Amino acid sequence: MSAPPPRRPPGGRLGRWALLLLAAPGVCYFAVFAYLPMAGLVVAFKDFNIREGIFGSPWNGLANFRYFFETGDAPRIVFNTLFLNGLFLAATLAWGLLLALMLNEIRLHLFKRVAQSVVFFPYFVSPIVISVMLQVLLAGVGGEGGALNDALSVLHLPEVSWYTEPGAWPWILTVVKVWQLGGYLSVIFLAAITAISPDVYEAGVIDGASRARMAFSITVPLLRPTAAVLLVLGIGRIFYGDFATIYAIVGDNGVLFSTTDVIDTYVFRALRSLGDFGTTAAVGLFQGLVGLVFVTAALIIQRRYARESSLL
Amino acid sequence: MSHPLTRRGFLGLTGGAGVAALLAMAGCGDDSAASSDTVRILVPGTVPPGWEAVSRKVNEKLKADTGLSLDVQFINWQNYQQQALLKFTSGETFDTALQALWLNMAQLQQDGALADLTAEVDKHQNLRATLDDRLIKANRWDGRLWGIPQVNSAGRCQHFAVRQDLADKLGFGEITDYDTLERFFYAVKQRGGGTIPYGHNSASGYLGVVPYPAGMFNVQSWQDPHTIARAFTGRGMFFVFAKDAAQTRASRPVPFWDDPGVLDAMRRVRRYYLDGIINKDATNADVDTVKSQWAAGKYAATWAMTDGTTSNVMPALTKAVPGAMVADIIPYGKGLNAKPNQTFQADNLVVVNANGGNVGNAMRLQDWVSVKENHDLLEYGIEGTDWKPVGEDRFEALTQYSSFPGYAVSWRASLERKASYMTESEERVFSWAQDYDNFTVDPFASFVPDNKPVEQQIAAMTTVITQYANPLYYGVVDVDPQLDKLKKAAAAAGVDKLLAEMEKQADAYLAKNA
Amino acid sequence: MPSQLPTSPAAPPARAARRRTVEPFTVVSYLTVTLFALFCLVPLWMIVAGSFTDESVLSLRGYSLLPDPFSVDAYAQLFSGRAIGRAYLATLFITGVGTVLSVACTAGLAWVIARRLRPVSRPLTVFTYLPMLFSGGLVPIYLLVTQVLHLRDSWFAVILPHLMMPFLVFITVAFFQQIPTEIMESAHVDGAGELRIFFRIVLPLAKPILAVIALFYAVTYWNEWFMAILFISDPDKYPLQLLLQNLIANVTNATVLPGGSAPVVPVYQLRLALTVVTIGPIILAYPFAQRYFVKGLTLGATKG
Repeated sequence: MSAPPPRRPPGGRLGRWALLLLAAPGVCYFAVFAYLPMAGLVVAFKDFNIREGIFGSPWNGLANFRYFFETGDAPRIVFNTLFLNGLFLAATLAWGLLLALMLNEIRLHLFKRVAQSVVFFPYFVSPIVISVMLQVLLAGVGGEGGALNDALSVLHLPEVSWYTEPGAWPWILTVVKVWQLGGYLSVIFLAAITAISPDVYEAGVIDGASRARMAFSITVPLLRPTAAVLLVLGIGRIFYGDFATIYAIVGDNGVLFSTTDVIDTYVFRALRSLGDFGTTAAVGLFQGLVGLVFVTAALIIQRRYARESSLL
Repeated sequence: MSHPLTRRGFLGLTGGAGVAALLAMAGCGDDSAASSDTVRILVPGTVPPGWEAVSRKVNEKLKADTGLSLDVQFINWQNYQQQALLKFTSGETFDTALQALWLNMAQLQQDGALADLTAEVDKHQNLRATLDDRLIKANRWDGRLWGIPQVNSAGRCQHFAVRQDLADKLGFGEITDYDTLERFFYAVKQRGGGTIPYGHNSASGYLGVVPYPAGMFNVQSWQDPHTIARAFTGRGMFFVFAKDAAQTRASRPVPFWDDPGVLDAMRRVRRYYLDGIINKDATNADVDTVKSQWAAGKYAATWAMTDGTTSNVMPALTKAVPGAMVADIIPYGKGLNAKPNQTFQADNLVVVNANGGNVGNAMRLQDWVSVKENHDLLEYGIEGTDWKPVGEDRFEALTQYSSFPGYAVSWRASLERKASYMTESEERVFSWAQDYDNFTVDPFASFVPDNKPVEQQIAAMTTVITQYANPLYYGVVDVDPQLDKLKKAAAAAGVDKLLAEMEKQADAYLAKNA
Repeated sequence: MPSQLPTSPAAPPARAARRRTVEPFTVVSYLTVTLFALFCLVPLWMIVAGSFTDESVLSLRGYSLLPDPFSVDAYAQLFSGRAIGRAYLATLFITGVGTVLSVACTAGLAWVIARRLRPVSRPLTVFTYLPMLFSGGLVPIYLLVTQVLHLRDSWFAVILPHLMMPFLVFITVAFFQQIPTEIMESAHVDGAGELRIFFRIVLPLAKPILAVIALFYAVTYWNEWFMAILFISDPDKYPLQLLLQNLIANVTNATVLPGGSAPVVPVYQLRLALTVVTIGPIILAYPFAQRYFVKGLTLGATKG
């Protein structure tokens, strides 16, 4: 069904050139706006001087990289980054997929449309508004109560001071991410579902398969390429924290750092008052390189086990 | 668009967009070379309403007076630090920018990006007349002046803004000392009907405990406000110098946790947290949120500064809580005769870009805004339209032009007008803060530590402080176990090296400036 | 396709027994979607209601389920600038032109990658992927736009840095790879060239994914303010988000300057109102994009 298209384009040379024409704008774009500026990464190996600028500053070898590795915090920060991002990736993808399948079950047109719009909306709420709403929910105004604690006390459970409880935060942040991205990802999966030909369900209908069975044994396997792409892209970014959301929510609340501090927030705090482009670039370069290793590993695994849905 | 996207349609759309792109690019053309009589200045903030009209008037008058024209580029506060740095780095043409130690001024100066203004001030009489000698002296680093200080008062002392109506109701009357203030806090907690005694925000927790020269909850510092905690960078590791450093010529800094006053303050804040004296969400409540809650009457007291802005809350507060009154309370042991230490280091300075900035033009502009008439025009807008004078030295804002960032161009302590609705209490405190004679010059007044030798430790300590000291600043954890963690992490991050470097540089400074 | 399974009770009598049973998965789906929608809807409602609630009440409670006391202070502030019309135009230009250019470039590149041409597609994949991992940072982009391309104060300075997102290229590739080869083979038999196949067959089939990426790009352009801050200094050319951010900043700035107080400073309310103003048009535009999500392959395939 989703076998790769023919490897050789017909129409000979001319056809191929015509194809390349389609790719040309994109290639030019990345060359100018992504690759050309990458020259700026040299600052990672320089002792940055404001007056001299990126290219005029003197070289200083690997000194900028030393900073991150010499802090005793590195293992914890790296663990948090991988753990949190892994959690976010798994939870948002799984929920996005499930939500798409369920939305696809819905027959009432108006309900379906409204539901789709509503679940998509959290994507647009700015981190600061999320942060304020979360505080009202978890701590209440002035730190007294909060909706969740009110609910707990109704159930005769002890109140929790959430903002001093680091253990709860990986899960709280995961819920926030699922809320934020679930609808967004479901839109991508829904688009992929529309690409599935109705023919493939015929056998299932004749066999009298239940709808759940058809969803999970026919639709889900066909969504594998899309899921695989999303997963691989996510894995490449796994070393980048979700700076905007985490920083807006956790801020400088040190009590929560043991479970929530990721590379991006850590580096931001360390360097915000130093204005050192060199070290910032060094950390970015390091994050990118690790991402490259992860993605290559993911691709190798994928090619071994699921060749047809491979990105490459 | 329900029909399938055709090739023609697709080409038409992309082609059309492409042509539009080319036209727009052609139309925008080259940056015209800066004419030599335009002063380009970078200021934080946003274009104030009514800017066009004011700008036209300013330019007319400026042209007639000096032959210059003014080009102001506003950069949103959130991005100002990053963008100003970007512009210095990318060799952009501009003349002046707002800088300060809490931005990147030290780094810019060390990298040679700032023009030396030491000899310039004396050449401009209007400017010279508005800058106090002590102000200029304190803002010289190693004898050289790198920026024109923009201040609206001599001393900047943090203190408490207190709901006087509540104090009256609870039978306190005028509060002048810390003990009474604390009793007021507890009275509000018990009988204040849900009002939280003190509203704390997440921005600068350290101000609650370290002497600056007084820390909000540092009782010893209120009794004896004669040392100012120092760090290599803004939110970093604070050291407290010996109070007799000027006499002994030895700085003898200690980590802030070894200062008895600070230690006591951290225990006090912990007690306040447990007793509900400060809002429990302070670690995560941002400044604007707390400010809005203060204006709505949620708190009985909050942080204030001697910058004449405490009374700004009055219109909103009296609308939300009829009859509300705010008093500025500085609980020094000796009241307003305490003569607290001040560095007189300006929080805002106008610096000249060494890489393409025109020093002469920049200084002529600074001179021009030092004339009262010009100052009022640029800072408050057009008289009669944007503001009107009230009495001798007050003004009433008629439009929101008053959001013009005067502190980045035209703040002169002697020319600033007070808000028409400034409370009597604040007026007293503000006037007091405008007189240099009310303060003691700190022995480390113009000491600016050099970051370069210990950059690595600074970065490492900054994160240690946020992680382990910040919870102490807000009292959300028990003091002693947390202090152990803090000291352990600090040792690993190289606090000893930092301390040694601070002592070395501070002693060298003392020796040089004795 | 599920749409083949009629669910209305008026369905043909054949196998009626089977159709009348309500499937557990369908019930679970309705329930779960309803619950999650509520989970999203309640905060949305709180944002909308809060943006119409008087600041003094809002800041004491932190949230509001009913706009009481009703107040439009925040919106009055947001729409007080006379430049708001111009800012809308700027944003429409940026969103419109940007989205069209983005979708065109993305679709073209994605198709070439999806074709799995031996010497081309793989290098292109890597070429497109690396920018997701490595970025030269702000300074080089700034130099490029201001000193090489001279795009200061041009809306294209806002468009170009966002023109293509590798993420969306790969989403499109994944979709293209799902298109059955038979359709293209039959076109080849008809003697159609590569470009013809792309424009006449692939693009119409790809409408759902084009709608998705158009939506995602449009949203990015609509919300964009960071590049605008960097490159647009002429207030007449501010896009909407930048203008709104500035209005909020003006109100908050006023409170830190002596004498600069407005009678009401609806900080809380303004944040919520800004969210509403941002989301509003997207929620209005979303149903139009949605039409394409439900129509898919079947429709185009029968025509191809």
